[in-house]
Amino acid sequence: MSYIPGQPVTAVVQRVEIHKLRQGENLILGFSIGGGIDQDPSQNPFSEDKTDKGIYVTRVSEGGPAEIAGLQIGDKIMQVNGWDMTMVTHDQARKRLTKRSEEVVRLLVTRQSLQKAVHQSMLS
Amino acid sequence: MPAELRQEQSPSSQVSLATMPEAPEVLEETVTVEEDPGTPTSHVSIVMSEDGTTRRTETKVTKMVKTVTTRTVRQVPMGPDGLPLLDGGPPPLGHFADGPLDRHFLLRGGGPAATLSRTFLSGGSGFPDSPEPRDIPSYGSLSRGLGLRPPRGGPLGPGPGDGCFTLPGRREAFTEGPEPVPLAPPLPAGRSQPERFQAEPYGLEDDTRSLAADDGGGPELEPDFGTATRRRPDGGRGLRSRPYEDVAEDGGGGELMEERPPFPATAAPLAQPERGSLGSLDRAARRSPSVDSARKEPRWRDPELPEVLAMLRHPVDPVKANAAAYLQHLCFENEGVKRRVRQLRGLPLLVALLDHPRAEVRRRACGALRNLSFGRDPDNKAAIRDCGGVPALVRLLRAARDSEVRELVTGTLWNLSSYEPLKMVIIDHGLQTLTHEVIVPHSGWEREPNEDSKPRDAEWTTVFKNTSGCLRNVSSDGAEARRRLRECEGLVDALLHALQSAVGRKDTDNKSVENCVCIMRNLSYHVHKEVPGADRYQEAEPGPLGGTVGSQHRRRDDAGCFGGKKTKEDWFHQGRKDGEMDRNFDTLDLPKRTEAAKGFELLYQPEVVRLYLSLLTESRNFNTLEAAAGALQNLSAGNWMWATYIRATVRKERGLPVLVELLQSETDKVVRAVAIALRNLSLDRRNKDLIGSYAMAELVRNVRNAQAPARPGARLEEDTVVAVLNTIHEIVSDSPDNARSLLQARGVPALAALGASSQSVREAKAASHVLQTVWSYKELRGALQRDGWTKARFQSAAAHAKGPKGALSPGGFDDSTLPLVDKSLDGEKPGSRDVIPMEALGPDGYSTMDRREWRARGSAPAGEASEKEPLKPDPSRKAAPPGPSRPAVRLVDAVGDAKPQPVDSWV
Repeated sequence: MSYIPGQPVTAVVQRVEIHKLRQGENLILGFSIGGGIDQDPSQNPFSEDKTDKGIYVTRVSEGGPAEIAGLQIGDKIMQVNGWDMTMVTHDQARKRLTKRSEEVVRLLVTRQSLQKAVHQSMLS
Repeated sequence: MPAELRQEQSPSSQVSLATMPEAPEVLEETVTVEEDPGTPTSHVSIVMSEDGTTRRTETKVTKMVKTVTTRTVRQVPMGPDGLPLLDGGPPPLGHFADGPLDRHFLLRGGGPAATLSRTFLSGGSGFPDSPEPRDIPSYGSLSRGLGLRPPRGGPLGPGPGDGCFTLPGRREAFTEGPEPVPLAPPLPAGRSQPERFQAEPYGLEDDTRSLAADDGGGPELEPDFGTATRRRPDGGRGLRSRPYEDVAEDGGGGELMEERPPFPATAAPLAQPERGSLGSLDRAARRSPSVDSARKEPRWRDPELPEVLAMLRHPVDPVKANAAAYLQHLCFENEGVKRRVRQLRGLPLLVALLDHPRAEVRRRACGALRNLSFGRDPDNKAAIRDCGGVPALVRLLRAARDSEVRELVTGTLWNLSSYEPLKMVIIDHGLQTLTHEVIVPHSGWEREPNEDSKPRDAEWTTVFKNTSGCLRNVSSDGAEARRRLRECEGLVDALLHALQSAVGRKDTDNKSVENCVCIMRNLSYHVHKEVPGADRYQEAEPGPLGGTVGSQHRRRDDAGCFGGKKTKEDWFHQGRKDGEMDRNFDTLDLPKRTEAAKGFELLYQPEVVRLYLSLLTESRNFNTLEAAAGALQNLSAGNWMWATYIRATVRKERGLPVLVELLQSETDKVVRAVAIALRNLSLDRRNKDLIGSYAMAELVRNVRNAQAPARPGARLEEDTVVAVLNTIHEIVSDSPDNARSLLQARGVPALAALGASSQSVREAKAASHVLQTVWSYKELRGALQRDGWTKARFQSAAAHAKGPKGALSPGGFDDSTLPLVDKSLDGEKPGSRDVIPMEALGPDGYSTMDRREWRARGSAPAGEASEKEPLKPDPSRKAAPPGPSRPAVRLVDAVGDAKPQPVDSWV
């Protein structure tokens, strides 16, 4: 399951809507991201294709908003509120996710287990 | 006579029952009884690491009772001529001191010795006179001097029996003349005396033996048992049981005489008297020193074993009783005699006597069985089973109100319970009785507490000790045995009550407490799988990496700690606000119960944590410490809700410092149990952080000790070292902070040194896993390199460790991050499996402690399966973290890596 940046992607995606949690002055999503076109993709433990420079979920805090919304470690983030995340720098992705003006972010994510599940159901 | 005897007994027994448990022993000891706690009692301690790793330890404690049927012997010598007595009287003392106690049968010394046992002389003709009194004094003095219990005036009182014992053959021999002297002298003298002397030595020996044998389970107590018990009885005994004393020492004479009349003529049905008794021969061989003493001694002839066994069928009851008592004496510490008794089919005879109408006969028979059932040789145990011994013993226990008999019965059952095939038999026939007749009443627990009366404390009686020891052994017999014990009504409640009572009175070092804790530990093993309704409490199973929801959950768990602590705290905060932090243990709400927990539910209620922690704090008994730590280990393993609560409760009850302190214990197995418990507890994230911060120094100290023992002989066992290493690995995994703690504790040099120098492949491998994990944290590499460490060192350690297997795949490891991880994962499985060593053990563990332990673990049927299962979670668990954690590193380390470090941002 590799994606070529800029090319149409066929992937099984899931929508995840995360309501940020306000903590003091900060709005918190409760997960962390890794990856980006400025990062070394070979070190991404979640990608199947080690040249994939996409943004991946690397950690999800327990009980946090992201976990509640169903986000999982290893998910690849395809879009954030409609913005493409398959070809952005790490920092761009971070900023896109953490806009203070937005209380809710809608993610489009894909994960291997989804792909496999769909694949199998199609086979059978 | 019988009447008298009974009277005597009854009072004594009553007393003992009512007041002191110990008393009974004393009374019993009318016969010198040595108890060696060497009897194999096996308790299996099961340690679980992580989910399933289980470790079983069996301890065998053996108890031996040595009964010296002094009466028989003495009386004989004394009575006979009176002359002998005179001679013997004074001399005897001296002899005794030396060790010549043979009062048994005079072999008929030469002219001088001349003393013939009365029996021999005339089959009792002389008896009427009062030779006995004289003997008695000497006897008394002797026994005391030896430190043995004088006892048995009462029981022996049947002394007349002695007369009975005397063999016709003997007489003939005697009549003929002194010739026999030459032959006899050495043997007899050596033999009986030695025995007495041995009494104490034996006790010690047994103790050591038991120690060695037990993994540690029962042995310690033993020593006390051997000496203390014995002595106490002597002292107390005199005061208490005057009837006995009277009989034995002074007045006793009267009784004896009375009794005799009945027996006189009945003298032995035995045929060949000529040779020395078996016992004497055996002993003679062993104890040459006694020979010297023989010079002055009269020679007696002992009845031979077949004769003794024949007397078990004798129509006269006291003969039976004395024969059994003498048999008990012969069997003490003498495997050869035990074997011969079996071969001569003596065991069915004795078992049959357990149902005899006369109490004295039952008691003596049981005493003999107790000695016969003791020892490593399982054949006697099997033989007792085969002739229906277990149900007979249980019947006797139900019927007996005499505490002495109850002690003997439970002691015998304890001995029998060390033999694996008998465990389920004992459960089938005796569990209910043992629980309701002994455990519950002695524990002080009341099913329906009476408001008026304050709760009773447990009574640490010998009966309770024996019974708990027996149950401790049988509780190790696998899942079915555990189920039966858990579901035995009142058992768990009573054990807990007893332990709480022990903690309340700060009396936590004794054997009974140890037994109780060991039972609790065993019953706690695999509760999360075996308890009815456990499914309801299961939490998501960790699955294979990237697979199920469970694994995802796992990962999230692990993920929690990537950030700095501050971040984590923030998160926890958040969660709390969110009301979604069920998994966060500090906000954990324990389930509300509508009714009090009872029965096996008590095993895993968070309330027990406090009990175990109290034991860990208070007890000085290593076995108890090990078992308590093992119980926590078992309870904190597994992925069901209760384990989660237990892990959190240990923290909240401030148990972590208690455990960490025990890492300094000088006792190997305690360190091991605690290390594994810490490993399980660190499944809880908060625990992991705390353990990483506060336990690392101690853990590393143990590693250092392993590599370079502080003092000779202090080196930890391989199992323990591996357990410590695996614990370090566990707390370092997924936790850069903990890895940093390891560095600060100077753990890396210690690990590297151990990996390079250890003779043990398992140790080296485990050490290299830790090193690999440490190296996988890029943010630490700078610091490592500044200290002169290179990747090569870490990898070489790994290579070295793997060398034997030749499985290294150097190619893939060049990649800075992942390769090492893979490696470690790779190694992980074997490593963790190592932790749980059970399979290889054979059923014969007696030789050494280690072996035994191993054996014990392996021997349990449940052991193997369980052990393997537990491991599975391990690898998966660990596998998950590496992925996320590594990338998670946000620090840029100074490593020469050309590639930019992965960035990871919280959003």
